[in-house]
Amino acid sequence: MTNLISAIAVMSALFVSQASAQDVADLNDLEMAHVAYTADNIDIRYAHLALALSTNPDIHVFANTMISDHTAVNEAALGLLDKLGASAQDNFFSQALNEGAEQIIDDFSKLRGAEFDVAYATNELAYHQTVNDLVENVMIPNIDNEEVRALFKQGLDIFKVHEGHAEMMVEALNQ
Amino acid sequence: MNTPITRRGVLIGAVASATVAATNGTRVFAGEPTIHEVQIKKFKFKPKHITVKVGDVIRWTNTDLAPHTATAKEFGWDTEEIAKGESKDVLVSATMETQYFCAFHPQMKGVIEIE
Repeated sequence: MTNLISAIAVMSALFVSQASAQDVADLNDLEMAHVAYTADNIDIRYAHLALALSTNPDIHVFANTMISDHTAVNEAALGLLDKLGASAQDNFFSQALNEGAEQIIDDFSKLRGAEFDVAYATNELAYHQTVNDLVENVMIPNIDNEEVRALFKQGLDIFKVHEGHAEMMVEALNQ
Repeated sequence: MNTPITRRGVLIGAVASATVAATNGTRVFAGEPTIHEVQIKKFKFKPKHITVKVGDVIRWTNTDLAPHTATAKEFGWDTEEIAKGESKDVLVSATMETQYFCAFHPQMKGVIEIE
């Protein structure tokens, strides 16, 4: 079962990195907004699964935080798009993220107890590390609209805190 | 040397006694509680440490996009969720817990010192 947990974590990073090879930097602002919205929603889905399957109070705290924070970011994104009179545009990277998430959720749903907790925490760490790196170094430098860029920066500040929180959670579960 | 008491001096004194500026907080009128402002910014309580008196009010204002809380370490008091741009107040009592954190982001911590 440990192999499955490791495989899920590797898969999480792999789905993102494979897609990033296709030049995410060339996405326009509205496509990048779609990517961010999709990534937020995926993490919210993982969190709901964690609330349903885990009995660990620390996992519940983290999952509830993921739901409230990513919901806040998505609401801000929708508000900004509305203000700009624009809509987010679906793209290959959003699709790759969703494809990866479906498989990870399918694998998660086979786990229970401590095995689920470790898999969830490990995946959250890998997911945030990979997405944060992409947002900071590939997406933000290539966003044209200042307001969209500012929102991405605000989101990145939040997601870096999540990464640190996930790291502590993984360490605690592996003790 | 004694300063002569003038009509103007008395008026200034009256206003000063009604408008008290405490070291770590503000009070608009005498008899109203002193309010201590704590900003929540970039996942930190600022200031992290505040000194208050019983009867004062602590006001947390969230400037982050992410929602936060100010929650006593042993859950004796709680602002509940503070969304972006919102403020929540807590009245200082003699027995309140003095260490607190954000229930959503447990690494965020603050300390209240009651004089």
